[in-house]
Amino acid sequence: MADLAGFTRFARTCHPGEIIFAEYEPGDSFYLIQAGKVKITKIVGDTEKTLDILQPPEIFGEMAILEGAPRSATAQAIDTVKVLEFNRANFEVLMMGNPQIALRLLKLFTKRIWDQKRRFMILTLDDPQAKIADVFLMLDETNAAVRGGELEGEKREFRVTMDDVAHWAGMSPAEAQTLIGHFANQRRLELFPDKIVVKNINDFIRFVNSRRKK
Amino acid sequence: MPKVGNYRANSVIYFQGDVVSDKVFVLQQGKVSLNYTDIETAKEIREIIQTGEFFGVKSALGKYPREENAVVLSDAQVLVFSVPEFEVFAQAQTRIIMKMLKVFSNQLRRVHKQVDNLLEKNEAQSPEAGLFKAGEYYLKARQYSQAKYVFGRYLTYYPAGRLAEQASRYLEAAESGSVKYGDGRGPAPLMVEATRQGQSSRDSSMSRDSSMSRDGSMSRDDPVRDDEPAASSVRAAPGEGLSDAAKSYYDAVSLFSSEKYKEALAGFKRIVEAKADAEYVPKALFEMGRCLFMLQQFELTIKHFTQMIQTYPKHPDLIDTLFYLGQAYEKKGDADRAKGFYKKILSMEPDEDASIRIKAAKAQRRLEEAGRG
Repeated sequence: MADLAGFTRFARTCHPGEIIFAEYEPGDSFYLIQAGKVKITKIVGDTEKTLDILQPPEIFGEMAILEGAPRSATAQAIDTVKVLEFNRANFEVLMMGNPQIALRLLKLFTKRIWDQKRRFMILTLDDPQAKIADVFLMLDETNAAVRGGELEGEKREFRVTMDDVAHWAGMSPAEAQTLIGHFANQRRLELFPDKIVVKNINDFIRFVNSRRKK
Repeated sequence: MPKVGNYRANSVIYFQGDVVSDKVFVLQQGKVSLNYTDIETAKEIREIIQTGEFFGVKSALGKYPREENAVVLSDAQVLVFSVPEFEVFAQAQTRIIMKMLKVFSNQLRRVHKQVDNLLEKNEAQSPEAGLFKAGEYYLKARQYSQAKYVFGRYLTYYPAGRLAEQASRYLEAAESGSVKYGDGRGPAPLMVEATRQGQSSRDSSMSRDSSMSRDGSMSRDDPVRDDEPAASSVRAAPGEGLSDAAKSYYDAVSLFSSEKYKEALAGFKRIVEAKADAEYVPKALFEMGRCLFMLQQFELTIKHFTQMIQTYPKHPDLIDTLFYLGQAYEKKGDADRAKGFYKKILSMEPDEDASIRIKAAKAQRRLEEAGRG
């Protein structure tokens, strides 16, 4: 753990249940967890969906570098949480003094850049059916990177909902549902309450490639 | 310890799509080019690496497939770091990380904006409505302290927002709920009481049950009518961390998003005239132009943006500005001038802002087709 003794003035303690920031709030700071657990949630329809639970020494809210951009999710303390609060004013000082944190942030940025680039590629497809297929290719690539290699076979399981797919494809849930339904009718996809199964990932790769601009 | 790697001309250090991407490289001598296909234009891009420059960093640290072919143009010597070796090295050289952080955060900002521009804006919830909805969720769930936080924030950012009056009522309800019952407790139809105060007297005769279902449907739509006066006595939470200019900026943004362009224009104008904040003045200038455009004052839009570009030739929203100029000329019926702006956009750095380029190309095509037809 980095030596953060000199940075106590940027420390903040949050009570259990306290919101650190809420989704849609404009944000200009990001946080390093020093103690406790933080829940990242989003309100989808009438339920609060937990996206992630973070603990030391994880960083959250790093998208605040997109000045003025609204927060994409809510961060809430689960127990008593201690965080260091970074903003543009103290950023350089904190980073220069804590290379480990700087490196961790660097890694987060690389991940986010890839996420966004990949998302951009999905959105530039003209064919909505191909957008849906490409969302699954993206999810598969992310999984492959985490695993550190290719998977055997052609079948893939994804623990996602139709709403997640709609979000990534930049379309309404209703539209995504229709398009996912087409795939299911063609037996290229199977739908389960907790997952979506792609029968043949290579079929999706060929399909998306055929729809990409030459 | 990093190893020295020697590569012959025409060999490839790594290929695009390589899943195992666990090495970071520094070019020591020779010539290496990163070749890749631009995601938007499908053009082949060649990026020559300078001596002493790192490459392969993003895919190695982010653990994703290589995004380009690293082709050796003339015999090259490179230092090869494993990721752990790179981490040790970089931590001893924080300036290197800082430099990369700056480069990466700029890339992130750019690609984020490209994505945003491609998304159908009308499908995305406005931040104002989204924040309000989050507060509503917590109040309904009787999570009073969370509701208090969210409505407090809402009133800080949007004191004159469309939902401000409702938000301050809900804030009060959350406060009294938290005092009277405590988090997670209290009567369920709490939202009804909060809403009811704002409804006309004929509604008060409705039964509790029917007004509850009514409330449920209202929360999804727009609980406050446009013609309602803005909240007069808003008890906004202190806007910690936000400068005055930032606050006025967000106020005006919220007016813009509720389509009150005249009021928004006046708000942005005040920020520009106060000249107090170097960051928000150019931002506000850009927004003023957008207001004028929305008000269909195309003549004024053109004049305003032209002046803005002269003052801020490197304005961060330059490419959007050019697009608005094109649109304004188009609205005025001056297709030739409009085409000129679209052409200009398409001639700019390809990676500057891809989505506006797509829009400009579409607009250009449309004008050309109209010209023929």
